[in-house]
Amino acid sequence: MRLDDYIEDLEPDEEAERRRLAKEKSYAITDHLEEFERKFDDALSGDTLVGSTSPSIFVGRSNYPDIPVGLLSPVGDEDAAEEYVTDGDWYRQGYAIDDVLQRRTGLLNSSKRANVDSPSIASRLTPSVHDTWDGFVGVQREVAIADRPVDLEIGLDDKPDLGLDAGTDVATPRGPQANARNADLTENPHVPRPVKKTLEDDDWQAEGAMTYLYRRGFDVYEINSILSAGALGQTKQRRLVPTRWSITAVDDTVGQYLRGRIRNAPSIDEVQVWANEYVGNRYWIVLAPGNWEFELVEMKAPGSIWNPNPEDDLWMASASEGYEGRSSYVEETAGAYYAARLGVLEHLESIGRQAKCLVLREVSDDYWAPVGVWQVRESVRNAFESEYGEAETFHEAVSEVATRLPVSGARLRRKSELAAGLQSNLSAFSNAK
Amino acid sequence: MFKAIVSAETLTSALDSVSVLVDECKIHLEEDGLEIRAVDPANVGMVDLSLDAAAFESYEADGGLIGVDLSRLEDIAGMADSGQLIQLELDEETRKLHIQIDGLEYTLALIDPDSIRQEPDIPDLDLPAEVVLEGNDVNRSVTAADMVSDHIALGVDETEEYFYVDAEGDTDDVHLELTQDDLIDLQIGPAHSLFSLDYLKDMNKAIPKDTEVTLDLGEEFPVKIYFGFGEGQGQVTYMLAPRIQSD
Repeated sequence: MRLDDYIEDLEPDEEAERRRLAKEKSYAITDHLEEFERKFDDALSGDTLVGSTSPSIFVGRSNYPDIPVGLLSPVGDEDAAEEYVTDGDWYRQGYAIDDVLQRRTGLLNSSKRANVDSPSIASRLTPSVHDTWDGFVGVQREVAIADRPVDLEIGLDDKPDLGLDAGTDVATPRGPQANARNADLTENPHVPRPVKKTLEDDDWQAEGAMTYLYRRGFDVYEINSILSAGALGQTKQRRLVPTRWSITAVDDTVGQYLRGRIRNAPSIDEVQVWANEYVGNRYWIVLAPGNWEFELVEMKAPGSIWNPNPEDDLWMASASEGYEGRSSYVEETAGAYYAARLGVLEHLESIGRQAKCLVLREVSDDYWAPVGVWQVRESVRNAFESEYGEAETFHEAVSEVATRLPVSGARLRRKSELAAGLQSNLSAFSNAK
Repeated sequence: MFKAIVSAETLTSALDSVSVLVDECKIHLEEDGLEIRAVDPANVGMVDLSLDAAAFESYEADGGLIGVDLSRLEDIAGMADSGQLIQLELDEETRKLHIQIDGLEYTLALIDPDSIRQEPDIPDLDLPAEVVLEGNDVNRSVTAADMVSDHIALGVDETEEYFYVDAEGDTDDVHLELTQDDLIDLQIGPAHSLFSLDYLKDMNKAIPKDTEVTLDLGEEFPVKIYFGFGEGQGQVTYMLAPRIQSD
């Protein structure tokens, strides 16, 4: 489809509808929290949560290396525990911001502080998380490597704090929290064979083990939970990894693996523009022929969650890499960079091509609560499920898309390395006279 | 057969100008001097270096080819003070390079040249503009541009007859104009191209500040940068592909 027709066809009215819904539904969260409190009282026997089940874990990063290690459990909705796990299904089921917040606020985080290297007192003599399968951290690690929710009982020290606490773009907004005293498994967790293999191999570097699991069909969400629990890597290197860091580590590692796979692949042969819109975020992905090059440019509207003052100017951030990747962590765009890059690389690897790629992320003021970086990953991944618009040249595509952006083409060119110019290579000139 | 004695300064300059682009390279040990040609994996930046036999205190070679790990060799050369001499000798049997610096002996394992990326063909470009300036002016331009942006435009204003440097950042700009008088030489021609500072910064590191540097430029064409080192006995030519603004 020609790019102008393609843009014409994109539904603009959806946005207004979402805005209306978002306003209405934000009140629903308050009601939801009250309901949670009632359910919680029902589930508590003395100071123990009985008949609980935990589909996933959360490892905090405050006071590193003595960090809070948490078991997440849907209180009063145990049968649907699977649905509380953040993954691509949330996108596929079209969760809106309030759906995400309901899931998150319905998930009790029972946590206990542990040292990343030596989670139990017994293991301080040989500090390694590797052998820790007892105690609270042991239970938490079992939950992390299991491929389905694990039944357990959690002893609590106090009543949970139900405060809805806005997290950050990478970490997830947390729901209610409680301090745990202990936890006991009430069933034998099911651990998939490839995970056992990576767990038992004590001389396998974490990057290689992550890639192995990915190739065996595990999605980044599962790998990140396993990495978080210190269950990957060479024995001495294993430690608990804060969830926020592990999400980015897995996106980056799997991304590097995929980038290696397309390193010598032929280039795509036309300029394509793919678009997607989800939870108040709009994505434009421009692919152009040539060697791999990638950039994420974010435009955050005043009044959106990361740029809350409605009087402020639009906020822009960007980060990019060339054919050989980056040698340093991105200064701007953070985890969103690696999540978006993963989505693009998965697409290119699946078609066996390389390309130059510019991802433009426009955050509107409909994005009133952060849902987590999975939103970026899934929006980019799924952008390639629809149709695309074709353009003659990369710069023509960018100019056309720029007419739909909240910034001018000139401002975009100042901020974006790719919009300013695409890196050519010397072979393009070797026959030129 | 290869046996040479060279000042640490000259050897280090030669190695540095190649290592900004690649980690490993092939070194041709020709009768009249060393030659290195390499291109980075993205095929964006290229270096062509020659170091004449006259740059050495003593030099004997008969056309061999060796492959080296540049950071290793740089580390060793870095052990010498700039006035010191470095003695190099190739052991054909073991395929190792013996390096001696004032009694310190280092045996460097070589890399099979066939395992190193193929040497590039140097594009034969007819670039219309030529700018000759001091290394120090290149350094000023690159350093200032890097403060505001990741790329830099180099060009020649044909009507006003000056060479210019432009960098546009998120909020700030850098602009430099050098006229005929500020330059050592200027050949006017249509020229305007954008380049990645990632590459130019690295190349700039290898350019001596007090040397004469020639830039050949065109419109959205690679820039050819060449300069001498080692008292004029060594020559480096860089070629860098542009970032394309038009299509």
